[in-house]
Amino acid sequence: MAYMQGVASSALTALWLSLSSAPGEQERVAFFERKVRPVLVERCYGCHSHEAKKVHGGLYLDSREALLKGGDSGAAVVPGKPAESLLLRAISYRDPDLRMPPDGKLPPQTIAAFTEWVKLGAAWPDENLPAQIDPEDSGYDWSRFRQEHWAFRPVKKPALPSVSDASWALQPVDRFVLAGLEARGMTPAPMADRRTLIRRVYFDLIGLPPTPADVEAFLLDDSEKALSRVVDRLLASPQHGERWGRHWLDVARYNHGFGNGYEGGKKLEAFHYRDWVVSAFNRDLPYDKFIEQQLAGDLLGEGIRGTGFLAVGPKYRSDGGDPQGIANATADTLEDRMDTTFRGLQALTLACARCHDHKFDPIPMQDYYSIAGVFNNTKLSELPLASEKTIKRYNDRQQAILEIERPIHKLRVDLIKHRVSQSKDPKKEVEEEIQAKEKKLAVLVEARDLLLESAPPKYPFVLTVADSGNADMHVALRGNLRKPGELAPRRFLKILSGDDRTHWTEGSGRLDLARAITRPDNPLTARVFVNRVWMHHFGHAIVRTPGNFGILGEKPTHPELLDWLASYLVENDWSIKKLHRLILLSASYQMNSAFHEEHFHRDGENRWLWRMSPRRLTVEELRDGLLAASGELDLRLGGEPTQELLQSQRRTVYTVISRTGDHFESDLFLRLFDFPDARFTSEKRPVSTAPQQFLFLLNSPFMVERARALAERLHTEAQETSERLKLAYLLLFSRLPTEEETNLGFDYLQREGKGLPRWQQYAQVLLGAQEFLFVQ
Amino acid sequence: MASQRHRDPTPAISRRQMLSRIGSGFGTLGLASVLTEGGILKPSSLHATDSLLGPSVGSPLAPKTPHFKPKAKHVIQLFMTGGPSQVDTFDHKPALKKHAGERPEGVNRKSLRQTTSGLLPSPFGFQRHGRCGQWVSDIFPHIGEVVDDLCFIHSMHTDIPEHAGAIMMMNVGHLQPTRPSMGSWLVYGLGTENRDLPGFVSMSPREQPRGKLANWGNAFLPGAYAGSYIKLAQMAPGAAIRHLQNRHLAALEQRQQADLLTRINKLLLERRERDRQLEAGIEAMELAFRMQFAVPDVFDTTGESKETLEMYGDGEFAKGCLLARRLVERGVRVVQLSMDNTNPSYGEIAWDSGHEDIADHAKLAKRCDQGIAALIKDLKRRGLLDETLVMWGGEFGRAPTSEGVKGRDHDHYGFTVWLAGGGVRGGFSYGATDEFGLSAVENRVHVHDLHATILHLMGLDHERLTYRYSGRDYRLTDVEGHVVQDILA
Repeated sequence: MAYMQGVASSALTALWLSLSSAPGEQERVAFFERKVRPVLVERCYGCHSHEAKKVHGGLYLDSREALLKGGDSGAAVVPGKPAESLLLRAISYRDPDLRMPPDGKLPPQTIAAFTEWVKLGAAWPDENLPAQIDPEDSGYDWSRFRQEHWAFRPVKKPALPSVSDASWALQPVDRFVLAGLEARGMTPAPMADRRTLIRRVYFDLIGLPPTPADVEAFLLDDSEKALSRVVDRLLASPQHGERWGRHWLDVARYNHGFGNGYEGGKKLEAFHYRDWVVSAFNRDLPYDKFIEQQLAGDLLGEGIRGTGFLAVGPKYRSDGGDPQGIANATADTLEDRMDTTFRGLQALTLACARCHDHKFDPIPMQDYYSIAGVFNNTKLSELPLASEKTIKRYNDRQQAILEIERPIHKLRVDLIKHRVSQSKDPKKEVEEEIQAKEKKLAVLVEARDLLLESAPPKYPFVLTVADSGNADMHVALRGNLRKPGELAPRRFLKILSGDDRTHWTEGSGRLDLARAITRPDNPLTARVFVNRVWMHHFGHAIVRTPGNFGILGEKPTHPELLDWLASYLVENDWSIKKLHRLILLSASYQMNSAFHEEHFHRDGENRWLWRMSPRRLTVEELRDGLLAASGELDLRLGGEPTQELLQSQRRTVYTVISRTGDHFESDLFLRLFDFPDARFTSEKRPVSTAPQQFLFLLNSPFMVERARALAERLHTEAQETSERLKLAYLLLFSRLPTEEETNLGFDYLQREGKGLPRWQQYAQVLLGAQEFLFVQ
Repeated sequence: MASQRHRDPTPAISRRQMLSRIGSGFGTLGLASVLTEGGILKPSSLHATDSLLGPSVGSPLAPKTPHFKPKAKHVIQLFMTGGPSQVDTFDHKPALKKHAGERPEGVNRKSLRQTTSGLLPSPFGFQRHGRCGQWVSDIFPHIGEVVDDLCFIHSMHTDIPEHAGAIMMMNVGHLQPTRPSMGSWLVYGLGTENRDLPGFVSMSPREQPRGKLANWGNAFLPGAYAGSYIKLAQMAPGAAIRHLQNRHLAALEQRQQADLLTRINKLLLERRERDRQLEAGIEAMELAFRMQFAVPDVFDTTGESKETLEMYGDGEFAKGCLLARRLVERGVRVVQLSMDNTNPSYGEIAWDSGHEDIADHAKLAKRCDQGIAALIKDLKRRGLLDETLVMWGGEFGRAPTSEGVKGRDHDHYGFTVWLAGGGVRGGFSYGATDEFGLSAVENRVHVHDLHATILHLMGLDHERLTYRYSGRDYRLTDVEGHVVQDILA
């Protein structure tokens, strides 16, 4: 917080105090431009400028001379003398007869800024000279940010720390974990037993439990390579991409639309993007390529399906065409792309700079609109998957329909006009004209309906994006696109660019943006990604705010480990699978999750990794795991989204997902178990525990069906009660039942009941047991 | 409490506490107690504080201490989707008749469409009502009877004259559907008094208001704070809470099954030693059992007196009003009841039929007038009005100039809402529009200000009720909002 001393107190002091000494002319003008002028433009010029339709009180506020001269009531501003300045009196709202602006008092910090500005001489730039201030210099101490905030410093591969018990380490990463524990007088937990370990590895890498045979094979393999073999096999299985692709889809706020028309309608074709992501993880597409293709696959000629990353976002529309509504819709659409790209790939909350310079991180509004300019020159597009003939047939018909719509619309407008005039001043000839037009309208509508009914269906296509222009945007004052400020040339963020601030002029600039992100010297890209991978394996990330590496984000618990992993990723050609191997074969990953009173007391959140944190299954793991245990899981890959998830046996990753989270029955199921809000990039899923979850587990038809299938499976695959109980425990918990658990089972199964068969009731109890819901 | 930051929802309960709580299984505690009473419980016995198990500190819905002493404990929002016209309901403007057809300078503000027509007088008569002498349109005869309990704000304004954005502004404090709803914020800030029921219930007769789920959604707040939606036309407990009933097992079997599950989970807990997630899970499962019996009870109105039922009158909206009372009576924190229209063109934006013919307002008023007045009276005679804040209003109003021949277009420059009960001045009017009723000119109140005031009445400081999400502290009122002090009792 020392970068901009006093930031929290107010934006005003932030700006002043970041300047080294008493403000000079240039700083005072800069202050005016940032804090005063935008307010004048937005709140005062409607009535007090040369562009106002009618000037009120004879007062102009659009030049320094005019301010000094004032209006009917006298000088508006006396430089250096706030108490004598009528302008300040008016905006203070203290004088009941002089309150400006009339539509509401300005916020206190704005009033304070005006007062400060007057006190320091009411600086105003010489309008006849070219701008004197550097529009990029918003008062951030750039070099201090670069030097002192961990996330903006270059990634440097650190040396492995020395530890007292080096024999514990199996992988380089273990040295960092152990050093952290030793420094705090803690020791790592013992290794997990093999049954726990294999269940953990299966869920982590493929999102499914191991079969009893998998467990058996692992227990019998006593070579040192046993775990390594399992990891390699799982990394090579197609289910791996489904599991890890879904992690990425959280970041990409993947959805199939179905927000209402004001958010862009339905987008079922988004599934091509999902399949591309799954395949990218299965192919081990290098992470830098993975990003470049998502931002600019159309321009690269490779990975165009990846641009679904941008295309699955909403395209907001105004509800009725009000100009402010249209401007808001455009700005909100841009913000979706900005927020997803920057929180997702750079862990920066860039969207905060839409309306004002970022209050904490070095991101001026200029930078926001530099990048927004890239997306503003990008449009949604479609890649048809059909023959030219099919496409032409469809397009021709649509064109014909469109052509017939025009006269229909014109007739309707005419009719309304006529009726209005008739209601005021009825005339016979108008009445006749109305009747003639109504007849004509009926004929055209009939023709249009025929064209519509026999129209060929839309051909299949992939949702993509394409360049639509090549123009820079202006800063939008207060985030309002109808209030343009200075020009914002398209280029990368100043804090991440150093001296190289090339103006992107090639098309939209998306390819330049993609490459600025994947440059090996970008300090954020690799750190952000390895942090996410670590989070999914350990339950907690090294930086526990994976979407915010800024000043308000958390600091890394293990900064050197983070940098070591980031370097490892880049050195290994951005291979994600190599990163998984490294982590999974570490001693840190193989610890058990046993409780330790003293360690818990010292580090209840397990920041220093004294054990493996137990974690609840995600909704995908839960549903897929239930279907796997009951023997019903359908492992077909890819394709159109499953619309009836709770009746389907396909993996959960293939479900349809609505942006609103309530379009489908399955949306409600997903949200019940903490599936993220698909309107936003999701940095991590919450883990909530609600009674409604248990109502689902106890009463839902889905669970009753699984219990029936599991009971059948137990009867087919095992012969006696004790064998069936063993199989059930192996399928669900990868272990055998204890004697007490076996007795409980026998006891329950012997009793009489009226409802479902006893075995099915029993199976449902096991399916709903807490043990199944967790990975230890 | 400095702020309601994102807190760990499951603070540690000691293992001993937990085991003693679940020690004998559901057979002798939660479930059994419910079953032996035959599944029909009096509302009072369902409050968490009366629960056999005691209040649970672990639940995200447990009652929380407000920032300061609240004036109200519950909110009932009567949401008039589509935007009722102020000058045809509660903002009487005799000048419209005098200047009918004229187009004075003051009405030339940019609006949704370029309405160029002149002023249109209200087709309805207006009378003074109550001791306060508030003018009320003849389409609201029943509400006219309770005006001495109502606090009118005639100077509301909002950002844009479009339904989608303005509805969001009213219900989530932001133009896009990307923020938590007001109800979710309230439950997040205050918890709820009866955790056997949802903390926030949203209802409408048939059509969900435009924006649907977002109107009662939790957005980035934890899922426990989401509202539960009920379609009144299909009013059934299962519609409020999914999978509420077990259709497959008899009560005895259900109890045996629950007992076995508890035993198995308990064995795991013994092995796992302290495990907060596991403990919370076991507790939530127990609550799930209790909900199965508490929820159907709310919807069973057979115990209401004939006189009460007649006071509310017929129709789905009236039923919603009665349910609203039953829900707050049982400790539900927030109830949202939205209006819809039987004309499918305006289903989810009910009052918008005023575009074509403002006289249609009479039909809409008839659907809700009696139920709303009954709700106020019923709350009052049960002593609940003091602790319940009722709010009536749409997302914007309608312009005094005409659209087409007899319709009115949207007006976001000025409109009326009214509040009643918990902590507001009854029989009071605040703020004013210009002489024709187009723009709020005196004591203007933005929707953010209304939200700040509602939170204030509920004991929450709108600037301190924050949630840290993706690097910033979010508020219902964003960076705006001032409490309207003058309307506080």
